[in-house]
Amino acid sequence: MISMILLALLALAGTPLFAVIAASAMYGFAGEDVDLQVIGIEIYRLAETPVLLAIPLFTFAGYLLGESGAPARLVRLTQALLGWLSGGLAIVSLVACALFTAFTGASGVTIVALGALLYPALREARYPENFSLGLITTSGSLGLLFAPALPLILYGVVAQQMNLDQAVRIDDLFAAGLLPGLLMVTLLGAYSMWRARGIVETNKEFSWSEACGAVREAAWEIPLPVVVLGGIYGGYFALSEAAAVTSLYVLIVTVVIRREISLAELPGIMRESMVLVGAILIILGVSLASTNYLIDTEVPSRLFDAVRSQIDSKLTFLILLNVFLLALGMILDIFSALVIIVPIILPIAIGYGIDPVHLGIIFLANMQIGYITPPVGMNLFIASYRFQRPVLEVYRATVPFFVILLATVLLITYWPALSLYLVNR
Amino acid sequence: MSEIRDEAELGRILRGLHRLEDVFLALLLGAMVVLAPLQIFLRNFFDAGIGWVDPLLRVLLLWVGLMGAVAASRSDRHIGIDALSKILPETLASVLGLVTSAFTAGVAGMVAWHSGRFVADEWKFESTAFSGIPAWMFESVIPVAFGLIAIRYGLRTRAQARGLLSKRRGRNDPASRASGGGPA
Repeated sequence: MISMILLALLALAGTPLFAVIAASAMYGFAGEDVDLQVIGIEIYRLAETPVLLAIPLFTFAGYLLGESGAPARLVRLTQALLGWLSGGLAIVSLVACALFTAFTGASGVTIVALGALLYPALREARYPENFSLGLITTSGSLGLLFAPALPLILYGVVAQQMNLDQAVRIDDLFAAGLLPGLLMVTLLGAYSMWRARGIVETNKEFSWSEACGAVREAAWEIPLPVVVLGGIYGGYFALSEAAAVTSLYVLIVTVVIRREISLAELPGIMRESMVLVGAILIILGVSLASTNYLIDTEVPSRLFDAVRSQIDSKLTFLILLNVFLLALGMILDIFSALVIIVPIILPIAIGYGIDPVHLGIIFLANMQIGYITPPVGMNLFIASYRFQRPVLEVYRATVPFFVILLATVLLITYWPALSLYLVNR
Repeated sequence: MSEIRDEAELGRILRGLHRLEDVFLALLLGAMVVLAPLQIFLRNFFDAGIGWVDPLLRVLLLWVGLMGAVAASRSDRHIGIDALSKILPETLASVLGLVTSAFTAGVAGMVAWHSGRFVADEWKFESTAFSGIPAWMFESVIPVAFGLIAIRYGLRTRAQARGLLSKRRGRNDPASRASGGGPA
């Protein structure tokens, strides 16, 4: 017990989480007199999970796109297509960021790559400063419920390791995230239109020539969401196939055809993208060991019995789950939260009759709010740093958006059909 | 004087190691980006993929992931909870930094050692992975990567200890205050 408290303190003090998890796994196994060679055997299981292949491939493609001129072309295209709406530029920001985040995996890249283009544009169009700041900060994590976002994939992988009676297919997760994600974009868009009434943007008319120009300029990028999203949602190809094709396609387009990234820059971009992938996979690897230990010692079922004796209704459980996940999102980033917490709460949630696919959407939607929850939400700091604004000002600017997202999270939690309607069972 | 020379030597070795790791990582990822679509192409148009490509891709994933983790430890970019370090006073934060680095180095070292024993056993019992290739070859990346991570955090601990020491000295000696500081 004391050693577990010590480990928790070390984690709070900033120790890399992989070390904390590895230590707890080895400590647990040593207590059961298991040869610690097991840690190597468990980490090697990373090589026995084919779907993981999608993670480095999509991340690499996302980093390449972020470094190329694709963000600027995406902004021009959405502007040409949606800019004529009232609050058009705000809606452009929401849609462009959601698309970009789905492809780059919600790692803060969106604010850096797209925010730098959208924030000045919003200010120039005379949107209030705190509205613009809040909008961009919030948009940075929008879209992680859409395929092929990394957190959805990771949730599927973690759930599949648990040997549940009900299989959690990643395709199902993709289908389940669609409506809740659209609901978030729609509500935020409606709020933006309301805030934008009275603001006259300069290029208000829809122009065919601008639309055609923007489409032609983005001709190489447009097939990507169509093929990847269409292919995955339509069931034409598997996730890792989509990832493989995407990475090679993006590599050829950015380096060979457009020449926006030179061969000399390539190793650096490869390394940067794999730093993120490595940081996620090493946590996943060591937590395969700790999860195995947890299951061996029946911690989840004992935990369920303990929770069950206190809470008897599904509704109370869901309320507590929301509170817990919101608090969790304040201190833990989405990737480590997925790997560490899902193995513990998933069996409990199933015990209360919650669909594991629905739980995934609840989990991610809560964690998405965590990105903008003070005091330590990651996007708050990225936005503060990127736009040179005090963090307190960013806190205040995101409040209305926070409230809207919170409302959608509650809807998602207590209305399972919203997530499960599109899932084929 | 010799201490300074040793430091320069160490810096040179580390830079070389970084280069080597970067090239290796780029090769691994490059192989993945080429092999994965190739396999799909062969399977769809010629109805036959190459048998060893799929298992090789899965091994590449393990290698890319762990080498990426090694690259992340170079500048301490592993995922962690950094809330506390933002609000604590500077000296306390650097003491905590020292403790967490030392702990990480120790744990990574232990994982390297025990997974190394696992790999040695696999070598002894001559287990094979696929296409008759000895399994230990693929598994060896685990002790190697964790060993490299342990070295990184060991060096980091050393630099942080020095930073703390020079800061204490700097309080009495204004001249060294400018140069004293945390790890690079």
